[in-house]
Amino acid sequence: MADTRTNLLQGTLDLLILKALALGELHGLGVARRVEQITRGTFQVKPGSLFPALYRMEEAGWLVSSWGASETNRRAKYYRLTAAGRRQLDAETSEWKRIAVAIAFALQAT
Amino acid sequence: MSPLLPISRVRALWRNVFSKSRVEDDLDEHVRSYADLLAAEKMKAGLSPSEARHAALVELGGIERVKDEVRDVRSGALLDTTARDLRYAARTLIRRPGFTIVAVTALALGTGATTAIFSVVNGVLLRPLPYADPDRLVVLLHDARNPVSPANYLDWKRQSTVFSSMGAAEVWVGNVSGDVPERAQGLRVTSDVLAMTGVRPVLGRVFRPDDDAPTGEPPLVLSWGYWQRRFAGRRDVLDQRILVDGTSYVVVGVMPQGFDFPTFWATGVQMWAPLPLGERATLRSSSSLRVFARLRPGVTLESSRAQMTTIAASLEQAFPGSNRDVTVTPLAEKVVGDVRTALLVLLGAVGFVLLIACANVAHMLLARATARQREMTVRLALGASRARLLRQMLTESVVLALAGGVVGVALARVGLTVLIALAGKSIPRAEGIALDPRVLAFSALVSLLTGVAFGLLPAVRVSRSEMADVLREGARGSTEGGQRSRLRWVLVGSEIALSIILLTGAGLAIRSFVALRAIDPGFDARGVLTAVISLKGTAEQPPGRRTAFYQSALERVRRLPGVESASLINHVPIAGDIWGFPFRVEGQPKPRPEDTPFAVYRVVFPEYFKAMRLPILQGRDVTESDRLGSTRVVVVNDVFAKRYWPNESAVGKRITLDPAEDDPVWVTVVGVVKNAVRSDWAAPPQEEMFLSYLQARQYLESDGGHVAYMSLVARASCTPGTRCTPASLAPSVREVIASLDPAVPVTEIQTMDDVIAGATAGPRFTLVLLATFAAVALVLAAVGIYGVISYAVSRRTHEIGVRMALGASPATVVRLIIGQGVRVVGAGVITGLAGALLATRLMTSVVYGVRVTDPLTYVGVAALLTGVAMLASYIPARRATRIDPLIAMRSD
Repeated sequence: MADTRTNLLQGTLDLLILKALALGELHGLGVARRVEQITRGTFQVKPGSLFPALYRMEEAGWLVSSWGASETNRRAKYYRLTAAGRRQLDAETSEWKRIAVAIAFALQAT
Repeated sequence: MSPLLPISRVRALWRNVFSKSRVEDDLDEHVRSYADLLAAEKMKAGLSPSEARHAALVELGGIERVKDEVRDVRSGALLDTTARDLRYAARTLIRRPGFTIVAVTALALGTGATTAIFSVVNGVLLRPLPYADPDRLVVLLHDARNPVSPANYLDWKRQSTVFSSMGAAEVWVGNVSGDVPERAQGLRVTSDVLAMTGVRPVLGRVFRPDDDAPTGEPPLVLSWGYWQRRFAGRRDVLDQRILVDGTSYVVVGVMPQGFDFPTFWATGVQMWAPLPLGERATLRSSSSLRVFARLRPGVTLESSRAQMTTIAASLEQAFPGSNRDVTVTPLAEKVVGDVRTALLVLLGAVGFVLLIACANVAHMLLARATARQREMTVRLALGASRARLLRQMLTESVVLALAGGVVGVALARVGLTVLIALAGKSIPRAEGIALDPRVLAFSALVSLLTGVAFGLLPAVRVSRSEMADVLREGARGSTEGGQRSRLRWVLVGSEIALSIILLTGAGLAIRSFVALRAIDPGFDARGVLTAVISLKGTAEQPPGRRTAFYQSALERVRRLPGVESASLINHVPIAGDIWGFPFRVEGQPKPRPEDTPFAVYRVVFPEYFKAMRLPILQGRDVTESDRLGSTRVVVVNDVFAKRYWPNESAVGKRITLDPAEDDPVWVTVVGVVKNAVRSDWAAPPQEEMFLSYLQARQYLESDGGHVAYMSLVARASCTPGTRCTPASLAPSVREVIASLDPAVPVTEIQTMDDVIAGATAGPRFTLVLLATFAAVALVLAAVGIYGVISYAVSRRTHEIGVRMALGASPATVVRLIIGQGVRVVGAGVITGLAGALLATRLMTSVVYGVRVTDPLTYVGVAALLTGVAMLASYIPARRATRIDPLIAMRSD
């Protein structure tokens, strides 16, 4: 399981982050925890992969960030999806579904 | 995704590059806030504040590491890290000025020498000749060297079909009249020659076919330089009349700046005139033409050679002896052929210097890398990737190399001036040698490559180092990893081997030069001044006045204070022309035409041998009484006498220069003189004959310009103990001639010593450069050995301290330290000698009087290098013996 967590395919990580943010804006740690929660603990996103991914996706125009206060009243940087981010989420979701179906078929084949 | 760069990315790039500090602050705050949130979460789970903080940092994996990960994906990351690496490299280098200065100096010497030699190679060998399609131009000669007769030229031109044009040229030195009479280098050419180059004149025109037989005043084309100098670049020079050799020429054109033709044999031509062959067209014996041609499109050099061989064979059949060894040589090869090998040898030599410099810097970097091991380990531990460390170290070495390159180019700039002066006339096309863009691009590339070359090994070593190993080693702090030290010894061994090769090359060049200078020219050059006195185009040219003029000039020169003896000769050795003349020996059967004996034809006034101190071996000199009407006499040189009268005295024997079959005019040999050099300094002596001017009909009676000049040789009287200064005679010689006729120019004034120096300038050039490179190599190698041994000593301080505490004597310690180097030096020397045996084979054609396997050179070089290596390792070894055991054992 350790390998699965660290060697998250980049596309998968992007998809998970987009999905996490689709439900509302979050700060970095929030994204990590949300991903953990929605994957039922299968994926633990480490800061070493989370940070580059957030910056990359922001530069790609999928996310925007702004500083705000956290639930414990600490300064935190919040991310939310842009319109482009939503389109990207849709595109990646259908792409993922297509692959998942294909892999499922492949694995069932005898 | 859209192929277009999203606006968000452009904005990001802009921000990352131009508001870098804000972006960095934001990133820092972001990561820290993350850590805070994480810690808060842990505290909520029940950890104490400090435990929570610690656990948060562990989970984060290092604030700097996370920041680095982000920096790597940001837009402009490459730019950013490169800039950071550059800054870091600059800081590191500045912090260690000693290291940096030594490394930059070594690299500057390497790249500087390489740049200088490459610019010579570029200017001379690589730069195309300044003509249209220069590769298609060829030279037709006998044996690639000897001139062609007019009849042969015309036959070749008529019969060949492989050339689109063919023309002939002849040297011509003309007396140009004016306020200051002067002799100017000229060339007589048929109309095809200048047209063939495809170069358009800047003013007027070049020659037309109807100029080949001019009816009125002959046309003249000027070089740009002569136009500037003599006519101040005035455009109204066209149609002006110039009196050359007493004939009025009309200026019809000016060639562009930098134009020179033919760039070999007659370089620096200032004026071109037509070459009307006229009645000479049928001559097959008098050869004075160089033939130039342009290959017809589609014709290869080989097929042109094949056709010329056929043509020459059929002509040879018709006129035996007239068409031997006809060669077709590309013009470019003819121009640079002689220096190509020498230049390539030098280029190879600088390549070695550069390699040695690289090896030197590489092992300096290795030593330093060891010292920086901990820094690197710590950075690895802090999460820097190995690729990052590798890149950063490479950046450092490339910065070092580029700094070396910049200093090197500055060195090359200075060096080139010296180099060109040193080369003198021994290098053709020297005017085109410059640090042009191509050379600079080459230097930049070389610097970059050297930077990677010497930086890669140490960088890979360091970035690969295993943390645990380093920490263990560091803890012990005594010896270093065996592998790395072996690598350093290999580098030093290679330096030694390369230096041996260079030193051997230089040694051979020195031996060869010594052998060249030891050649006995036959005469005593010290104290002799020569000058050409040409009467062409002056009132003194007519035969009647000419002899009288020379006689009174000689008389007055001989009376000058400081002149010991003086005489006149048609052509002085080395500097002058060589005229061959056929003759026949009395009593020997008439030879077949192709075997007709030839000898160098010289015409002298009395006392020529005395002035030159050319010993008369037998018989006598020509005298005042050897005039028309008395018995015709000749003095021959030793090879002449031995060849035609091998076992008897030549004196009293007779030869004839008269082609008449019956009752020719016989000339009696009255003296035999020592052999003297002719034109090629190192060529074996050739048969020469010296006829008395006062009996030489041609000189006494011909109207032709070819006999209207003579060379003066004046020996300065040198009292023992004072310096001989023949050059100081020049002004009084000029005065004497001017007092007889101010219109007569005195030119080509030079001392015989200078003439000889000029004849050996080429080998001297090679010698000085090879010796310089070898010296640089030796110093670099010595520095390398010194560096490695010092380093080894410093790493073994602790061990040496222990040994000395246990009673080792200083001598034992010195032996121990030097012993470490001996094997490496030995291996380097042996490898180097083997390499030298191979490499110096290339020098076979550039050395004289010494074999490239000369044992003395090899032994000497090996001894020299071993000595230097021992000295270089003795100094640090001595220092080791002064180690205080107590302090040493406490060290680290």
